[in-house]
Amino acid sequence: MTDLERRYLRLLLAYPTGYRRSRGAEIVGTYLDLAAPGRRWPSLADAADLLRGGLRQRLRAAGAPDLIPGVRLAAVLAFLTATTFAAAWSVLELRPPPAVFGVPSAGPFVSLGIGAWIAWLLAAVVYALAPGRWARRAVALALLLTLGLVPAAPLVGLPRPPLFVLLPQVALGLVALGLPDALPAPLRAAPLVAVGVVALAGTNVHLLSPAVFGGSYYVTSAVPVLPGAAVALLAVAVLLAAGLALRADSRGVWAALILLTPIGLLALQPLAGAIDGVGHTVAVWSELAATAVVIGVVGPALLPLALALRRRPTRSPRLTPR
Amino acid sequence: MDTPLREPTFLILTALAGAPLHGYGLIREVAALSDGRVTLRPGTLYGALDRLVDAGLVDVDREEVVDGRLRRYYCLSPVGDATLAAETERLRRNVEAATARLRERAHAARPATPRAAGGLA
Repeated sequence: MTDLERRYLRLLLAYPTGYRRSRGAEIVGTYLDLAAPGRRWPSLADAADLLRGGLRQRLRAAGAPDLIPGVRLAAVLAFLTATTFAAAWSVLELRPPPAVFGVPSAGPFVSLGIGAWIAWLLAAVVYALAPGRWARRAVALALLLTLGLVPAAPLVGLPRPPLFVLLPQVALGLVALGLPDALPAPLRAAPLVAVGVVALAGTNVHLLSPAVFGGSYYVTSAVPVLPGAAVALLAVAVLLAAGLALRADSRGVWAALILLTPIGLLALQPLAGAIDGVGHTVAVWSELAATAVVIGVVGPALLPLALALRRRPTRSPRLTPR
Repeated sequence: MDTPLREPTFLILTALAGAPLHGYGLIREVAALSDGRVTLRPGTLYGALDRLVDAGLVDVDREEVVDGRLRRYYCLSPVGDATLAAETERLRRNVEAATARLRERAHAARPATPRAAGGLA
């Protein structure tokens, strides 16, 4: 056995045992047929191909072949929501509090958040021009900048957007990392169109007093935007899941399940208010933090739970000659 | 199997319409059919073959061991033959419709040839 064959066999561990037994020799044989003479290591692309194939087979064995398409669908919806928010928060950032209020601001902006929101808007441009790897990299950068606001703000002594704004954005960004490689042009343009609509609405924002929209993320017009978006996203996800389920396509159900965590974080305020039992719509910080932790734990746990409930005995492919 | 077929699926079925092929042969044939545009990797190819075998479009023809390596040959099943024929017919109609429209468009865009005015006296 050559080193190359041994290394391919090691990568084959990504596949379920039963599948390896029936297909392993054939897959490795094909890789060896394709390998240039003298090659000793699998290429990175080969390793990625085997890991992807292994994951797909494991999901298939778990009775969830539609999970990866579901991740892609959830990513598209999450990215559209995240970029729309970035556009809305950018408009708010451009309205710093009047100096007479004595509220701290980041120069001409409300907070440091403007840097992260611009990164999200740039990601929308990249997504329209080059979906796939470049779009995912742009999302990763925007996500890192959003997360970086938390340690950066105290370091430079400037305000940042509150956590109830940043947390759902981070959750949406994590889901958006699963953006697909190829998409029809209208879907690629959708985030830019949404950004354009928000920007257009932003041109009229001067009609509103900064106390109504501007100066801070705590204004009464900004806070309800998040739960409103949670309801809208939930409605879209449920309708999509139901529509696709009618065609025996369960990717919508997976997408809805994946989106439940960002949806829960968007609805953090009313959820925390409901949980405290008093019925206040505005919860105190400790209630918000406890609710966010519960959503952050329960939401992502729903996916492995659903997989475990759907698990079926592994079925090997029918590979006997006729 | 969902229709219309995705391009790699269409190319795999087209490759198998010629003769039974093993994995390596299929990868080469698909690359040749697509002028090198579609290059399948084994992980992707066998995932697609599993789906096609499950859907009854492809059958395992025979197995051979060459230089100590297992080679499994795949062939188009009667259902696969019918699916490929239906998909090809659908694509042919689309191509014909597009060709006719483009021909009309080119004809309409061509500047009218000026007629010779007058005539011989």
